[in-house]
This record gives sequence, structure tokens and C-alpha cells, in this order.
Amino acid sequence: MTIVEQEIHTPTKPPLYRDVRVLRWLFQFAVVGVVGYALYRLYDNAITNLEDSGLPTGFDFLDNQARFAIPGLEDSADYSVRKAYWSGYLNTLRVIVIGIPLCTALGVIIGIMRLSDNLLVRAVGTIYVELFRNIPVLLWIFITYLVIILLNLPQITDDVTPLDRFVISNRGIGIPWFNPDANLLTFVGFIGIGLIAVVGVNVWRRKVNEQTGQPSRGGLYGFIAFLIALAIAHFAAGNALSYEPSVIAENGRQIEGGMNIFPPYVGLTIALSLYTASHVAEIVRGSIQAIHKGQGEAAQAVALSTFQRYRFIILPQAFRIMIPPLASQYLNITKNSSLAVAISYVEITSIFQRVSNNATPALQALIILMFCYLTFSLGISLIANFFNRRLSLETR
Amino acid sequence: MRKHWLLRLLAVLFTFTLIASACGDDDTSDADPVDEPSDDPADDPEDVVDLAQDDGGDTIQAIIDRGHLECGVNGQLLGFSNVEDDGTYTGLDVDYCRAVAAALLDDPDAVEYTDLTAETRFTALQSGDIDVLIRNGTWTSSRDGVLGLQWAATTFYDGAGMLVNSDSGFGSVADMDGTIICVQTGTTTEINLEIYFDNLGISYEPLNVADEAAVTANFSSGACDGYVTDKSGLASFKATYDGDVTILDDTMSKEPLGPATREGDEDFFDVVQWTVFATFNAEEFGITSANVADHVGSDNGAIAKFLDDQESGLAFPTADWAVRIISAVGNYQEIYDRNIGPLGIPEGVNQLYTQGGILYGPPVN
Repeated sequence: MTIVEQEIHTPTKPPLYRDVRVLRWLFQFAVVGVVGYALYRLYDNAITNLEDSGLPTGFDFLDNQARFAIPGLEDSADYSVRKAYWSGYLNTLRVIVIGIPLCTALGVIIGIMRLSDNLLVRAVGTIYVELFRNIPVLLWIFITYLVIILLNLPQITDDVTPLDRFVISNRGIGIPWFNPDANLLTFVGFIGIGLIAVVGVNVWRRKVNEQTGQPSRGGLYGFIAFLIALAIAHFAAGNALSYEPSVIAENGRQIEGGMNIFPPYVGLTIALSLYTASHVAEIVRGSIQAIHKGQGEAAQAVALSTFQRYRFIILPQAFRIMIPPLASQYLNITKNSSLAVAISYVEITSIFQRVSNNATPALQALIILMFCYLTFSLGISLIANFFNRRLSLETR
Repeated sequence: MRKHWLLRLLAVLFTFTLIASACGDDDTSDADPVDEPSDDPADDPEDVVDLAQDDGGDTIQAIIDRGHLECGVNGQLLGFSNVEDDGTYTGLDVDYCRAVAAALLDDPDAVEYTDLTAETRFTALQSGDIDVLIRNGTWTSSRDGVLGLQWAATTFYDGAGMLVNSDSGFGSVADMDGTIICVQTGTTTEINLEIYFDNLGISYEPLNVADEAAVTANFSSGACDGYVTDKSGLASFKATYDGDVTILDDTMSKEPLGPATREGDEDFFDVVQWTVFATFNAEEFGITSANVADHVGSDNGAIAKFLDDQESGLAFPTADWAVRIISAVGNYQEIYDRNIGPLGIPEGVNQLYTQGGILYGPPVN
């Protein structure tokens, strides 16, 4: 009897193969081993096959001359392949940076419209969503660029130059812009002065808000202060901030000076934004409907206006639900930007196509392309996760 | 417990990955000996020659065993390779696929065509998906050197040209300083355009377009001043374009188009090369698909040797390979008239050397 009891009560170590901690570690090692082996086999397979076919296996081609010209960049034919990739990368980034805010703003508006009490507003929202969501985005890109932009913008020979400073044509939309080469330092300095003004005004408005209870309206006042500070600095320094007007070149074929916005860029960004907005709208609608009805009713009970109800009660709570699905829409807009190949916008996939056709090892060129998209996607995920953590409910 | 579930799920997924990749490996290694003999390791330079000869013989044998030729073509280029309404292929490139099939299998229809894009064409040949690539691809030193391909011969000498609106006032490319030029993405034309303008010391802005439909949209709406591509392509564009356009006289590049094979396939390379030469030689001898039978056993020693080749040792399976080729597709002139003629492209140098061109078949001797 006594022996048996001792055995039960003495905490003896279980054998290794039954120790749950050891098993867990073993399992983790096994998983890592399996994944590692799989990756190694894929890599080895590729390298062996490349070598057998007498193809180069390295990334030396990045230093070769690209030899093709990139629209909007002078001397771009002398670029290295690496630099060509980089300019394509920046062009993709331009689409994302403008496209994401655009599709979010439009999507929120359409999403709220779909929940309106007004039949007409609701119908417009529904038609928008169904129209854009149910037609492939490639077609929207074609329609926006080939049909709307190319055919409706005036030709350069029509000589449409409002105020003699703008050029509107289907070869480019020229707007007057600061010449960054001539006065970059001044430009940056003035922006700095403007930002200081914004901060100052915001501090003042917050104090007013705390003392008198008036709404602070920091954004509005800040914007005005920014413009005023910029204007004062500009005139005080004797018109230091010169800009270049955009004009049609002497031979009447190209746009010179200022900033030239490339029509395929406009077409792509608008089409992607419009399309993605339809998905965003559905996410917004779903997230708002997921908020307890009582929240909206309580807001109405304390006499908040519709705008205030959304701005202060519903949207802040809805955003918490929205962020993960929104992030995946942002990833979609990034990946869909590769469809620009169809309409002459030279982004990173287009660069890849041209690089890989000029006797560059296709596999390596493709790996670099994949890596570039990975940095965009991981960047967006990182930012989304940051907001997700900040906005998530503290639950216990 | 949740963690365990997750781990298990991961384990299952990774196992699938492993199996999938392992299967992929097996597939290729199984397929290698049959489809792709040239993939045998040829790392040791001393062994390369031997292996290459073995491989070449194996490729021809593989085609004969398989019973058809795998030919990579464009499939969308009128005159070179185009899919007809009934699903058959026609064109100059297609006729050379048929000629090779006729020489090896005595059946010009024993060809499986693979439509390839500009991006996939070279990889398809390198990886052994196709035996021969006849897809209006330009023969260049870097493609020949870096990509592990060899061009057997030139079947069509082309060159990049410039198409402009007739009322644009451009007489030659030298007038086109500061213009916007439409050019197809990822082609040798893109680079030749850059070099040509650079040499003239004038500037331009490229507008990269994906395909001919996009060219039409951009060009007709005035988004670009000129369109650059091979002159044969410009001719077919002009034929279908709804507007008054001119092709300038400038020839901006050399674009020799012809069939390409994998490096290391010496015997098969010879077969493709001499198939092309046979069409040149037949035209020179005045042999056509209609009268080839009459010429067999001709009194003319050269013709007799050409049609009954007992001596050359080329890897054709039979001595009457030239007869097979000519009865299947005819001589070069016949092929040209059938496919390129209707497009109205001037023949230029694409004629026999005896008629002022530069096509020249080495003698069968």
C-alpha cells in the first residue's frame, strides 16, 4: 500500500517521448525542417535546371544598361536595370499613395449612402456598388483610359491652355509647379515655416477649446494658417518661391515646364480607385451595420446631427471592425496596379516585361518583381496592424 | 489546446507543400529522358560535345517517337502565324513548322502549335516545352549568347520603320525631334528606337503600348505622333487602319526573323537549318511543289543530289528529305506569295540573291 501511494504522490519526470514540452519543441523543429527542406528543394531545382540549360543564375544583370527609355525621365536609356526597376517601383508607389485615400474616401461616402433613409440616395449607392463590383477591373481601366481620357481630353493641337499656365491634352495634363531643382531648399524651408504655423495655431485653438468650449476646428484653422504663412514668407523674401508655368513646346508636340501628369496614370488611378471604392463601400456598410443599433439611437436621443452621429459615434466604432478587410482591399489596389501594362503606364510590372525581354534571365527578373510587390504588401500590412492594435478594444 | 490545433493545421499545410514540390520534382525528372534530353547535366566542359551530339539525335528521335513536332508560334500575326476561323494555322512561320515536320515525319500536319507571347517564348524553348521556336523572333547576339538559343537561319529580313499621319509633315525620322512615339512594350524595337534617335541627336518621348489595338486607340486620338514596329507589321497595320498614314523611308534597325532551337541540339539544329535552305535552293533550281516529282532523278547532277541526298550525313531520317519539304510547303517564293504577298509588303531583300535579294542557300554537295 505505502509503496503505491508513494508512486502516485512523488512527482517523477515522465519519459522524454511523453513530455509535452519536449514534444512541442520536437514538433516545431520538424515543421521548420520540413519547410526548410521544401524551400531548399525548390531553390536547388531552379538552380540545377538553369545551369543545365546554360542560363545565368546570378543577379549580375542588375548592373547592365537598361537600354530602353522610360517616359518622363531624361536619359533613362542610360539607366542601369536596377535604376529602371526603381523608377518603376516609384511609379507603382504613386498609384498606391493617391489611390488608397481616394478609394477610402469614396468608399466611405458610398457605404453611408447605401444606409441612407432617402430612397434616391440609397439607389445611387446600390447602383454604383453593383456596377463597379461586377465588372472586371481591367475593363474599367480600358474604359477610363481608352474611352474617357484619350477621346475626351483635347488633342495637343487644339491648344487648350487655360490662363496660359495650364495645358490640358491627352498627351499630358500640365500644371504650374515649383521648380525643385532651382529652389529646393527654399521650398523645403517654406514648408517648414508653414508647418510651424500649423502647430502654433493648433495649440492656440486647443486652449480656446478648453477655456470657452468652442469647437477647436484645428484642421481648418491649420490649413488657413499654412497658406497664410506660406504667402507671407513668399512675399517677405521677395517672391522667392518661383514656379514654372506649363506650356506647349515650340514644335507643338510635347508639354514643357511645370508638372506633367501622364494621362495613363490618371486613367489607372481613377479606375482602380472607383473599382476598389465599390468593395470598400460594402465593407463600410457591413461594419456600420455591425455596430449595435442602440448606439445610433442614443446619438439621436441626445440630438446629434446626422454628421455628428457618424463622425463621433458610429464611424469610430465601425473603423475598428473595418481595418482588417480594408487592408486586404489596399493590397488588392496594389496588386491590381500591375494591370497598368495594358494602358501604357510604366510601373514595375511593365519594367519587368521590358527587362525580361532583352536577354535578361526571366526567373531572376521575376523574383525581383515579386520581392518589390512583397515590400508594398508587407508595408501596408504593417501599417494596418499598427492601427488595428491601436484601435482594438481593451478586453480582458 | 488552440495552439496545438494551429500547429497541426500548419503541419498539414506544409506537408502538402512538400508533397506538391516533391511531385513537381518527380514530374520533371520523369519527363526529362523523354521530352527533354538536353537537360542532362552537361557541366563538365569535356563532356559537352559528346552529350550535345547524343542530345541532338535524341531530340529528333523524340519527335519521331512522339509522332509530331512541338512548334512555338505567335498565333496572332497575320502573314507569319495566324489562327484561321476553322482553327488551323497559316503563315510563313507556320509553313516552316510544317516543313520541319514533313522532313522528319513525312507529314506536314503532324505539328502541335503552341501560341507564345513575347514574354514566354524563350523560356518555352529553353525548358523543352517546344522543339523549335518560329515566332517572328529577332536574331540578336545577346539572345544567341545569354539565352542559350541558336538561330538556324533567317526566313524574313525585316527592319523597324516609322508610321506617321500623312498630313503631319514629317518627311523622315530626322524631322521628328521632340515628338511622342508609340512603341510596343518589351520588344527589340524599343531599344532600336532609342539608338536611332540617339544617333540622330534628337529626343523623343516613348508611349509604351501593350498591343496593336492599343496602338490604334492612342495613335488615332493623337496621343502619339508616330508608331514604330517592324515594317512588315506596319504594312499590316496600315492595311487595317482607318486613316491616311504613311510609312517613312527610314529603316531603323535590322530585324532578321527565323527559327531558333535550343543550344546543344546540333543534329536537330542542322535539320531546321537545312529545311530552310532547301526552300531557297528549290526556288533557285526552279523546283516547286507542283513539279518536284518530275525533278527526281534529274539529269542535272546538283538537282539529283539535292532531291536524293545519300552523302551529306545530315540527321534527316531519309535521303528524300528535300522532296518531302518541297511537296509539303513549296519553295520560298511559294511560301512568300501564299502568306506575305496578300499583305502588300514590298519584297525588299527577301528574294533570292539571283534576283537582287540576299537569300542564299548553301549547296548540297
